[in-house]
Amino acid sequence: MKLDLTINGAAGEIELLAPAPDCRFRLDGGAERAAQVETPEPGVYSVLLDGRSYDARVEEVPEGLVVVIDGFRFQIEARDPRRFVRKSAGRGGEGIQTVTAPMPGKIVRVLVAPGDAVAAGQGLLVVEAMKMQNEMKAARAGKVLSVNAKEGATVKAGEVLATIE
Amino acid sequence: MFRKVLIANRGEIAVRVMRTLREMGIASVAVYSDADRASLHVRMADEAEHVGPSPSGESYLRADRILDAAKKHGAEAIHPGYGFLSENADFAAACESAGLVFIGPPAAAIRAMGSKTAARRTAVAAGAPVVPGTGHGVTLEQARDFARLHGYPILLKAVAGGGGKGMRRVDRDCELEGALRDASSEAERSFRNSEVYVEKLIARPRHIEIQLFGDRHGNVVHLGERECSIQRRHQKVMEECPSPLVARHPEMRQAMGEAAVRAARAAGYYNAGTVEFLVDQDRKFYFLEMNTRLQVEHPVTELVTGLDLVRVQIEVAAGGRLPFTQEQVAWSGAAIECRIYAEDPYNNFLPFPGKLTRLNRPLGPGIRLDGCVYPGWTVPMEYDPLLAKLAVWAGTREQATERMIRALREYDVGGIRTNLGFFRQILEDAEFRAANLHTGFIDEFFQRRSAPQPPEEFTAVAALAAALHTRSAAPRNAAEAASEGPHPWLEAGRSGLLR
Repeated sequence: MKLDLTINGAAGEIELLAPAPDCRFRLDGGAERAAQVETPEPGVYSVLLDGRSYDARVEEVPEGLVVVIDGFRFQIEARDPRRFVRKSAGRGGEGIQTVTAPMPGKIVRVLVAPGDAVAAGQGLLVVEAMKMQNEMKAARAGKVLSVNAKEGATVKAGEVLATIE
Repeated sequence: MFRKVLIANRGEIAVRVMRTLREMGIASVAVYSDADRASLHVRMADEAEHVGPSPSGESYLRADRILDAAKKHGAEAIHPGYGFLSENADFAAACESAGLVFIGPPAAAIRAMGSKTAARRTAVAAGAPVVPGTGHGVTLEQARDFARLHGYPILLKAVAGGGGKGMRRVDRDCELEGALRDASSEAERSFRNSEVYVEKLIARPRHIEIQLFGDRHGNVVHLGERECSIQRRHQKVMEECPSPLVARHPEMRQAMGEAAVRAARAAGYYNAGTVEFLVDQDRKFYFLEMNTRLQVEHPVTELVTGLDLVRVQIEVAAGGRLPFTQEQVAWSGAAIECRIYAEDPYNNFLPFPGKLTRLNRPLGPGIRLDGCVYPGWTVPMEYDPLLAKLAVWAGTREQATERMIRALREYDVGGIRTNLGFFRQILEDAEFRAANLHTGFIDEFFQRRSAPQPPEEFTAVAALAAALHTRSAAPRNAAEAASEGPHPWLEAGRSGLLR
């Protein structure tokens, strides 16, 4: 099985030649390597590679996977190149920009209205959670299409608060 | 001795108090809000009572409901923990009039030490050195006169303040008027009291505090100091005992200890309390304020003195004498505590509530963990996101530092972001190792730190783990993943350890 990888923004490729526990794999078309892998608990991979022991903890997130090894984090997207993969919506790219709540909280203030022109970095709303106020800013300049949040309303993480064209 | 005690608090401190109660054979009563039904303090308690909805103003701060719960369950005393009602003199008085013992100082002492200006007057009367300041609310003209006399920079502070709210640094006269207006309106919003006083600003101060204990028989003893200079947003995140500065200049402990004891005596203080001092570059110390409760960071004092401060609090509240004299208090080794928060240190310490998917706690020699979390628990958004306090003890500060790094390496929390990795970086920092501490330490640390690079093989192992995980997982339903909505990790990718 071959997978295209994006590891912390850098492209790569892995080919799995034999499954766990006695794994054989090839990275970026390099030499074949062997690793002994056990899964002591779901999402935790104990890897013995070249005589060294690693504990890799894998978490599934909407953008892919986060792998943590000894405190170091790797944001990884793994794609099967044979499958059609829909491009994830860009956050700083073109098209419509959605502003979502980064965490559950309460809308303290709404600073813009539909139709307003906003500059990149301009504050749009203020969300309060855990006694901390956090200003949601526009990623880039544009026009406010919709504001879905009302002052005083409670919002869930990921809820769309506003859209900008 | 009491047979049953109600804990008017939640989270790690409620759990910590219950542990001692259980060791003393005293039954515990928990109170909880809607958000906390499944919290550890409720699960650990012998009895529990619901006191209201999630916002603390409708539950943990409702003195009437807490007193009703105590009566209903037949508790004889109330332990307030820290925060919430712990420094509320009216609540302490209400406990006493309801025939319940408040495990803390008398209401009069809380009043004498509660507001910063009242505390300052008490300290001055007791002969403790204070930072030059007005000690009362000022007008613009009075602030200007003060600055003329003592020179800039000065600090504006809310009379009723705390937590850095209503505080402004002023470096020159032209900034004074605007800063006073801002500080005053922020103080009004936060504390419903717009009064602001002025203090001389101490450059690069250390925050060193003295733990006190008194009984109802007139004994007041100090248990040495804690260094709490590592702060973010004016809040301590890492504490040590002894202070490395005091360890180099042992005469400071006695001088500060005696000043603190004098101030406490002047206020008629008993039970646990802490006097906070600022220490300047010339090692001169100034009374800052008194905390009339048990402190978050009390474990480092317990580790170094071998005492259980909660046990002593309960014994003293029950009318007992302090079980030690000043001469009997001894300090051994070094302890460090890290406050483990659900927050993102690399994104302005933004709180990070969510569900804990994985938890591995550090174990082994010299480790103490006071926490309230378990796998599967959701960190509520309504309260301070403190997950646990990790403390270590070792023979020397160097060994304690190495031990803390080891413990942090073992500590694994999945599903949310924490400051575990951030503490590791601070502990590796040369300035921290050299004990060059001051309250602006973290700001300067951010400017000089270089993100640590992972060993080369880590990337290969991460790629392999990701591939195996992708292979083993059932083909993930894209629609299902999308309906969960963007996760806070969205923010995380940009700001991780590898940035």
